[in-house]
Amino acid sequence: MKRFIVRKLIVDDRNELFDAQGMKYVEFPSDFSKIREYTAFVLADCPEAFREGNLLEQQLSEIIKNGVKHGNRCDPAKRLRIWYDLRKRARFIVEDEGEGFRELDDWNEFFRKRQKALFDEDFDTFLAMASYRGPRSDEADGGNSLIAALEYWNGGMIYNGARNKVGVVRWFAGGSEG
Amino acid sequence: MEWTVSQADPAGFENVTLKGDCDLYAAPAFASAMKAKIAGGAKRLRLDLSQVEYMDSTGVGALIRILQSARASGAELRFRGVRGSPRKVLRMSNILPLMREEDAQ
Repeated sequence: MKRFIVRKLIVDDRNELFDAQGMKYVEFPSDFSKIREYTAFVLADCPEAFREGNLLEQQLSEIIKNGVKHGNRCDPAKRLRIWYDLRKRARFIVEDEGEGFRELDDWNEFFRKRQKALFDEDFDTFLAMASYRGPRSDEADGGNSLIAALEYWNGGMIYNGARNKVGVVRWFAGGSEG
Repeated sequence: MEWTVSQADPAGFENVTLKGDCDLYAAPAFASAMKAKIAGGAKRLRLDLSQVEYMDSTGVGALIRILQSARASGAELRFRGVRGSPRKVLRMSNILPLMREEDAQ
């Protein structure tokens, strides 16, 4: 018998994923045109085994994009701060200077309904709500970055209380001594 | 990312071949072009993604918008060459079940 199980975004200020001790640090201005450039900089010394083709690059770029576009609203005066650690696993903390992801609870409810439609094989409903549309979404927003992220970041994806900082980690089979 | 559209094959499918990164910089224009094509009367489209090495959530969102347009217009949309990292991203986004693949893996 199938069981309906759905992940959700979690807020936890005290989560260990926000412990930046020993992590490398870099910060960038909020330049939308350089999101993939910022991502490449952070991953410059990443162990090859962690890259999984370009999957790690893609997933990190989503978090950076969310901070630059939705958090800092591409305001060049606002900074994006990134802590990263690529020893044994891929771990990041990304913080913007925006007002925080206020729609996080709405997003969780959207995701629950979306996944229920998929679970029920109601593909018309699923297609209609396949992308999240928030109050500030625009035509260029994919509306699904967090959906893949919840699966990809298999060690956790946690927001802080202000919801302007996210901590993520992905573990890999076999790890790395990198 | 670039794309080319070939003349319809005997079955009436126009082939749209994508090449490059289907990312936040290129995907919105592609979605707009395909939506305009469907709105303009295209009834059978085949998207060949075999030369797409990178796809992000904007690329996934572009495919969703094209799928939604096709569904609303009664157009038939098929896919070919969905592989590698783009396939993984589409799977993690749960979009693969919506895509009719001619060469499903």
